[in-house]
Amino acid sequence: MSYYFCIVGTRDQPLFELEFGTSKQGGDGVARFTQEARHMNPFVVHSSLDFVDELQWTNNQMYLKRIDQFASSHISTFITPTSTRFMLLHLPHPPNTTPTSQPMPNSFPPFTPYTSVPPSSSTASRGTSSSGSTSIPNNPTSPQTEEAIRQFFGEVFEVWMKAIMNPFTSTEGKIGSPVFRQRVVAAGRKYL
Amino acid sequence: MTPPEHEIGRPGGLFQRPQPELALRSSRELISSDLPGITASSSSSFARTRKSLSISESRPALTAAPSSISKSRSPSNLRSQSHERSSIGSGGSSPSTSKIDSNDAYKQIIVRSFAPRVAVFASSDTEEFVRRKGFQDGLYSLLRPYGERLHSKVVIRDSVGGSRGWDDFGIRFMDSQKLQKHSAHRASGDIVGKDARNLFNGSQRISEHSRSSYSNETGTSIDNLLDHYLRTAGAASQDQGKHYFDFEGTPYEQRPELSPSYPAYLRKLLSSASIVPYETFSHPVACLIAVSSRHPAPIEALRQLYSNTGNRSKNIPAWMGTEYLRYYVLIHDEENDDITKSIALFDLMKRHFGLHCHLLRLRRSQCVPTDDDSTKVPSCEWLSAEEEIGKLCMRDYTSEVELAEKYILESDSSAIKSLLREMVTQSIVPFMESRVMIWNDQIASRRRGIGGRFMSLSKRWTGFGSAKSTKTGLIGVSNPSGSNYDYQQGFYPPETPEATMRQLGDYAFMLRDWKLAYSTYDFLRADFGHDKAWSYHAAANEMAAITSLLIPQVFSSKSRSESPDQMLDNAAYSYLTRCSMTFNVNRCLTIAIELLKNRGPNAADDAARWGGKLLELGVLTPSAQALITERVAECYMSRTRAYLAVARTRTRQAALWNVLASDSWLRLDGVDQARARLREASAFYGLDNQDSAGLPFPSMQGLWQRLTVALRDAGGDDYAALIDTSVDEEDFELNSTEEREQLNAVTRPSITSSTDAEGFTNQDAGHTRSASLDDQELQSDGFE
Repeated sequence: MSYYFCIVGTRDQPLFELEFGTSKQGGDGVARFTQEARHMNPFVVHSSLDFVDELQWTNNQMYLKRIDQFASSHISTFITPTSTRFMLLHLPHPPNTTPTSQPMPNSFPPFTPYTSVPPSSSTASRGTSSSGSTSIPNNPTSPQTEEAIRQFFGEVFEVWMKAIMNPFTSTEGKIGSPVFRQRVVAAGRKYL
Repeated sequence: MTPPEHEIGRPGGLFQRPQPELALRSSRELISSDLPGITASSSSSFARTRKSLSISESRPALTAAPSSISKSRSPSNLRSQSHERSSIGSGGSSPSTSKIDSNDAYKQIIVRSFAPRVAVFASSDTEEFVRRKGFQDGLYSLLRPYGERLHSKVVIRDSVGGSRGWDDFGIRFMDSQKLQKHSAHRASGDIVGKDARNLFNGSQRISEHSRSSYSNETGTSIDNLLDHYLRTAGAASQDQGKHYFDFEGTPYEQRPELSPSYPAYLRKLLSSASIVPYETFSHPVACLIAVSSRHPAPIEALRQLYSNTGNRSKNIPAWMGTEYLRYYVLIHDEENDDITKSIALFDLMKRHFGLHCHLLRLRRSQCVPTDDDSTKVPSCEWLSAEEEIGKLCMRDYTSEVELAEKYILESDSSAIKSLLREMVTQSIVPFMESRVMIWNDQIASRRRGIGGRFMSLSKRWTGFGSAKSTKTGLIGVSNPSGSNYDYQQGFYPPETPEATMRQLGDYAFMLRDWKLAYSTYDFLRADFGHDKAWSYHAAANEMAAITSLLIPQVFSSKSRSESPDQMLDNAAYSYLTRCSMTFNVNRCLTIAIELLKNRGPNAADDAARWGGKLLELGVLTPSAQALITERVAECYMSRTRAYLAVARTRTRQAALWNVLASDSWLRLDGVDQARARLREASAFYGLDNQDSAGLPFPSMQGLWQRLTVALRDAGGDDYAALIDTSVDEEDFELNSTEEREQLNAVTRPSITSSTDAEGFTNQDAGHTRSASLDDQELQSDGFE
């Protein structure tokens, strides 16, 4: 699984961006997005803000769980009391391997599935996936993944609060603190 | 530029979210933290800081224009609906009572595409007669253009007794040769199937394999055709003063359709379905039997033709029911034959064959445009993709004379029109109505009742009372579940209740009685699922979803939106994974997208979601993929209008999908379309003049610049008009030169390749800056 984590301010501007890979199952923590995916990620995350804006009025949790899916990428969101959005895009693929585009005839890169998951109905996949792999790197929809991301967001939220407590920063400014970055990377390594 | 009023109260700015549930950590934890620069010393000061922060942030959130639509709603509403009409080209309101809506155009195309088929069986002398008139393909090619549009209101009674008039009812004529070809195809498939009898349902797999290869062929031929349209559309639009892509400032509600080829694509998709066992739309509802007055023994000829249409004739595939209407036509030659003799013959025909007869009076001579009362034969709207390609190829290779449009005499044209009007209103529609009524009474309601459910249950579990077809008996393998499904050949024999009910559903659909059709399909899909007749199962699910979307919205939107999703999901899964029929998946989901989009902004979200799924399935050809991406963008754009609650707009999704569509078009060298989509996208991102610096995320600039540069390199006359003079051209040039070189190195414009994440380097620079607590940062961030 590769991750793209982004903190988005209230005016849709990114405050913090980070790419990292999974550290579970022997993963080395390096993000392995293809070039196409790397370029699409900010677009995808930005577009899912639409769903965040809608969901935040109906859901009083801070962790909004998985809110969107684009091709094989899934997006989970956490929203702070000041409406700063933590967006995590996760792309499932086996650890330590670069996701290879499946030779789907006639399919352009954004829509090319990265892993060899056969297309299945949502009902069928719900049945098989729970019995199959429940590990975090492989299954973005499993409750385990959801829980891991919740813990990750919780830790990041804590660190983020400490960072914005700095009277010389604003909640709308870029977060440049190296310690903050380090902490987020550590949280990613710990939970994802 | 001032932001529009509705954007002021954007969420994420001032307003706090309701009830954050995560409690703030205790002050001790905060103090013990080793983060640099944290000055909070107690919980109260923490609270104060929070408060001051949220207050200081509130003002900029109010005043600054958020990154959303800042597209000026300029008053150029002039280009309004006339374009929309012309780009669709089909015109005509579907129910004569309802008001015309721009979105209804696609719904009309879909509804009209499911029209009753009429097979034409003509005697050889009739064919000769028609060929002399200049129609090389025989009688059906003469009748076909007139059948597609009847120019008269057809009143249809539905199952509950209400009647309604339809202006756009039509019928499709098909060649009887087509049926014969299919039955031959079928036979060869059976031979292969016999070899594979050891496998449980081997022949089913094989026949489905051949079917899927057929569907792939259809896909490619549609794609070829699309390419042709795209090429010619470019030329055509230049002639018409580039109205296709010149729509800057047009309000969303009244924008002309962007791709002129999309309606054409939809038509081809809908009219290219082949004749298959699992749906009966392509089976004939009636057949037209024609002889001419020249024939020495017309009654015998009619009998002969009748037997060709008959029950166990070789011309009809085994899975096709033969209980269709026979309609007899006597063609009278006005120039050479005696009308009194013909009338006497016609009376004799009526005595022999009943009321479904017509005397068609035509003139033998071929008509040329210079004749006095000549009239042009209308062109066929519903040619399938293969036929259209054939026609285009003919156009390339044949001489100018044959290419010319066909003309017939005014009197002939009106005679054909009155024949068709009479045939449809007095024979075909009443025949279908009575069939629907009979089947509904005798089969459907019997099975729908409690007794029927019990019977089907007992049949399923005990194998008791199953009416096995003769075919199964011959082969000698009993069906394990005791169903009527013929596992060896992969179809329900036409006389079984399941096949008849499917036909009932299709007839009801063609008569536009959506409710009856829906209840029938809904009932069938469970049955087919139990019998593991997957192609039938998929088709029934598809049609159930489509009909449920066609029923006017009377129920609450929630309960309605659940079930079509489920049915579409089943249909797509069965089609693709179990039967690998890619063409059908494409058709099913494309129809669903259009119908969902037609149901208003809430369903448009679902439409977009299905569009995304369709793209991910990888069943589309590149041009189709570009078109569908564009449709998804359209779906989201229909949700960017002002009357929606601000929190529920889909501005950013619309922007994303416009970028994707632009990218897809560029890969296909559709420069004009790509440019138009990019312009839309820049409006949604709130950019002035497509300047990438205004994008909300700095890391977006890589892809964006690649697109703009590729479009600039592609050139075109109107590119100068695209880039406003206020853009600092020199600066832009400097930024993008090295990317340009990279791009030129790649021959095929694969836009998103070969670059590093610029956003991250950008961000790193920012990080070193603010780590040292820059003064600039202090001043800029709200310490006034």
